[in-house]
Amino acid sequence: MNALPPKRFRRGRILRVAPGYNPNSSSLGVDVSFLLFGTIAVTAVTLVAGAAMRLWRRGEKT
Amino acid sequence: MWLRHRGQRAGTPQFRYERFGGIVALHRPRGLAYVDRDYARGLGYAASPLWDTPELLGGSLLGSAPLSAPTEVHLVLSKRCAAGCTGCYVDATPDGAAFSEADAKTALDRLAALGVFHVALGGGEAVDLPYLISVARHARAVGITPNLTTSGLSVDDTFAREAAGVFGQVNVSLDGVREDYLASRGFDGFAPALRGLQRLRAHSPHVGINCVVSRSNADRLAPLVALAKRLRLSEVEFLRFKPAGRGVSDFADRDLTPAQAERIYPRALWFALRYRMRIKLDCSFAPMIFAHDPPRAVVDFFGVQGCVGGDVLASVMPDGQWKGCSFGGPDEGRIGDGSDADRWKKGFGAFRNFVTQAPEPCRSCNYLHLCKGGCRVVAQARGDWWQPDPGCPRVQAHAAKQPPTHVSLPIV
Repeated sequence: MNALPPKRFRRGRILRVAPGYNPNSSSLGVDVSFLLFGTIAVTAVTLVAGAAMRLWRRGEKT
Repeated sequence: MWLRHRGQRAGTPQFRYERFGGIVALHRPRGLAYVDRDYARGLGYAASPLWDTPELLGGSLLGSAPLSAPTEVHLVLSKRCAAGCTGCYVDATPDGAAFSEADAKTALDRLAALGVFHVALGGGEAVDLPYLISVARHARAVGITPNLTTSGLSVDDTFAREAAGVFGQVNVSLDGVREDYLASRGFDGFAPALRGLQRLRAHSPHVGINCVVSRSNADRLAPLVALAKRLRLSEVEFLRFKPAGRGVSDFADRDLTPAQAERIYPRALWFALRYRMRIKLDCSFAPMIFAHDPPRAVVDFFGVQGCVGGDVLASVMPDGQWKGCSFGGPDEGRIGDGSDADRWKKGFGAFRNFVTQAPEPCRSCNYLHLCKGGCRVVAQARGDWWQPDPGCPRVQAHAAKQPPTHVSLPIV
């Protein structure tokens, strides 16, 4: 009898991305340029940030 | 409790555990990515004791409690500057207080131990401090990315070259072009500031402009963005004029009019589109953004937030005092006196407690958990730390609907 397939992990989510660095030494700036493109920007940034994180982790493990 | 994976090489991303999962500090592309527990597991991180709290069904714990440490700290290296700007937030003078080099480096060690990702070095005029580059290199050595704001007045070619090698981003304070600079700062420093900006840009693409927006320049921002585009700068950040330091006395005259406050967000979007540039608004402009009802999920994703003092952000002043924000709020104790982690966990209530006791119209606002009532420092200057930000268009509309509190009786 075949064993049950391994329980799949949920992939999880990127909850927030704060792009760039904040050089301002008195308050915190937010990049409003991304807000022009709404959910398209969310999707694009999720893909780019996700790829960057996974590439880095893969590189670190090898 | 916090755990942290620290990169072995400069520029390697770092990970910090949080209750909701963790934060990855990316260097290429630059930014902070907040991920949930499943995503962190997918990246290969083992479960943390911070994850013992049950997750919310269908939601994340992001925003349900303060972060385990600030992601960014403003290290106010000095209150020393000879420029004498009329609205200086830290009331800087030529012989103002300053960190010693050793104390600044010790403070950075403490911040690194706490898990801070970025520091913004400023003052005063930090470039005038002979040890600035050494302190910035120390920040890199302990795994923190240093960033810098400068007036640009003292930037020579040697400094610009060294700065390019150590700072993540350098912004020059430029509140307008030519006469607008003079009107805003009270002295004619546009030409030397521009030279400093050009020198910095010659050595690094990660150079931008910080522009304090007040009543006099709010309708004259386009030439500044055009200048930034022409110089191929990476960003322009607009900052609301705040009632701090020498800015307290003339805040009433320099605060934006309601019409200017309402226009700042659409104008910023227009600049981003027209000039194809990164345009930033500082946290105190959050109520002006939320007044336009942007999609909540989108602003949440990009971390558009109001008062982030004592959560995402904290400051360490030249006397070593922790504060939730460099503009104001109570002292929270000196860095290194006892456990900074405990201080972070238990303190900063003046910044963290607004949401739970928010009055109307904040209480019923869809953006309360992001906006957090707007800028506390502006609220304090207008009479009460705990009132909603009086510059918020929604707050102003709400106030206009209220019946007058004083009833005039007819004279018989």
